[in-house]
Amino acid sequence: MNPRAPQGNNVVTQSLAQIGNCGLFLLTLLAAIPRSFRYVRETIRQLWFVGAMSLTIIMVCGLFVGMVLMLQLYHVLSIFGGTSASGMVVALSVYRELGPVVTALLFAGRAGTSITAEIGLMRATDQIDAMEMMAVDPIAYVATPRFLAGLIAMPLLCCVFCAMAIFGGHLIGVSWLGIDNGTFWSNMTAVVEVHTDIVNGVLFKSLAFGAVVSLIAVYQGFTTPPTSEGVAYATTRTVVASSIAILALDFVLTAFLM
Amino acid sequence: MSQPRNSYAVGTGLFIVLGFAALAYLATQTTSVANVHQGASYTVDAHFANIGQLKERAPVKIAGVRIGQVQSITLEPGREVADVKLAIDTHYDKIPQDSVASIYTSGLLGDQYIGIRYGSSKKTVADGGTLVLTQPAQQLEEMLGKFFGAGGVADNLGGTYTVKANFTNVGALSVGAPVKMAGVPIGSVQSVIADPVKLDAEVTLAIDKRYNAIPDDSAAAVFTSGLIGTQYVAIQPGGSPDALKDGDEMVLTQSAMQLEDLIGKFLVNGSSGDKKDAGNGKPSESPAPAGKH
Repeated sequence: MNPRAPQGNNVVTQSLAQIGNCGLFLLTLLAAIPRSFRYVRETIRQLWFVGAMSLTIIMVCGLFVGMVLMLQLYHVLSIFGGTSASGMVVALSVYRELGPVVTALLFAGRAGTSITAEIGLMRATDQIDAMEMMAVDPIAYVATPRFLAGLIAMPLLCCVFCAMAIFGGHLIGVSWLGIDNGTFWSNMTAVVEVHTDIVNGVLFKSLAFGAVVSLIAVYQGFTTPPTSEGVAYATTRTVVASSIAILALDFVLTAFLM
Repeated sequence: MSQPRNSYAVGTGLFIVLGFAALAYLATQTTSVANVHQGASYTVDAHFANIGQLKERAPVKIAGVRIGQVQSITLEPGREVADVKLAIDTHYDKIPQDSVASIYTSGLLGDQYIGIRYGSSKKTVADGGTLVLTQPAQQLEEMLGKFFGAGGVADNLGGTYTVKANFTNVGALSVGAPVKMAGVPIGSVQSVIADPVKLDAEVTLAIDKRYNAIPDDSAAAVFTSGLIGTQYVAIQPGGSPDALKDGDEMVLTQSAMQLEDLIGKFLVNGSSGDKKDAGNGKPSESPAPAGKH
């Protein structure tokens, strides 16, 4: 119910204890899903906060990632006279790697930190204990809605990111560098597969990253020491742990899905 | 109290709709499911014997200017002919009926597109019409074959005589490959068959009759033109006073070099060379083994 920061004697046991506690916390979260259905409005409010409010940063970053990727590829591929393949390479690299990973990193920075800070401050100001006193389950009311919101928001944000990246690549490639419009699209559509790239790449990966990032954010918020310094550390740890988890998980998922 | 919650709900709903719209865009517009059609256009059929690497939505060009795109590529049922439907912008509706549609490649490794050259007919091709005159995609192998080819020479001058040559390995030598002497085509390879008894390759060379004074101790070798070029038979003249006659066999042959063998030799030589260099540091040592050539 109230997982405490582990007291290990070295870094390895501490990290292992953190991972173990985090896994137990995930089980608590999942068990609370049926109970959180009565707080569905809270879930929608969180979805608005972590999803809809993140749209600006996701769209702008997606646009620039697509643009810079196209610019780089064009200059490399022009050595081989293969510039017409650059649209295809932009699409594949964005769908398979950059889209899910960059979206998840941005999501951790934009939404994960505020989830941790919010819950941490709730704990520091005894709001969590007050909820328990009022017989309101804090896991079902605070933790699970945020976790579910992150889980739903990440794939949607990733789709928006990828669409903007393609748009940015098209903008630079076709409008600026003069790749033929039809060639750009025909090369892309000839190679991109719905199953391997869209479902396995965009949707599955971003779903996994969304689960990991929101789990870490909620867990760090719940286990933070109830001081202002503790909240600051917890917020930092959310970003660090999320980034490492995203990149490590990305490697594992890619190895499995390939 | 309910007002802000409703605005959350509306905003969240918009966000979800936007996310799914983006997903639909990715799934339909950037994958093979896509089949978009832009602007008003009319379709024209063209049948090609070979479309090479032509893809759907590849550009259609006149004088290098894009006027439309390839709408669909299907195989004619029961015939070895590709049916290509071209969607051409309605601005360009004055294409003569006898125009020639050809498949070109942009650059050496670039993408293929369809180029249309105007004919002289007064009639223009209409929506649903067919461009009868087409030129299939040029295969690189055929172009190289033509470029290095000697078949034309032999055919034009008429009259060849055949000589046999046995090789232990002909590599990728194919029928119709040129036979050259001093780099000049003098004939072509007529047949390449495996000898069932001697277990080697028996190559029949058709040589132009003008070259009837080739010494009968000349050597035949399978060479490659350039690094990735086609293979041909080179004849290196010998010193015998007697000339090759029709039906003779060339005894001295040199088989095709396999790239793998060459690389293997190179690597082996490289390592022995290193040893030799190391040995040169000590003059008292015995001379390095002669294995370089």
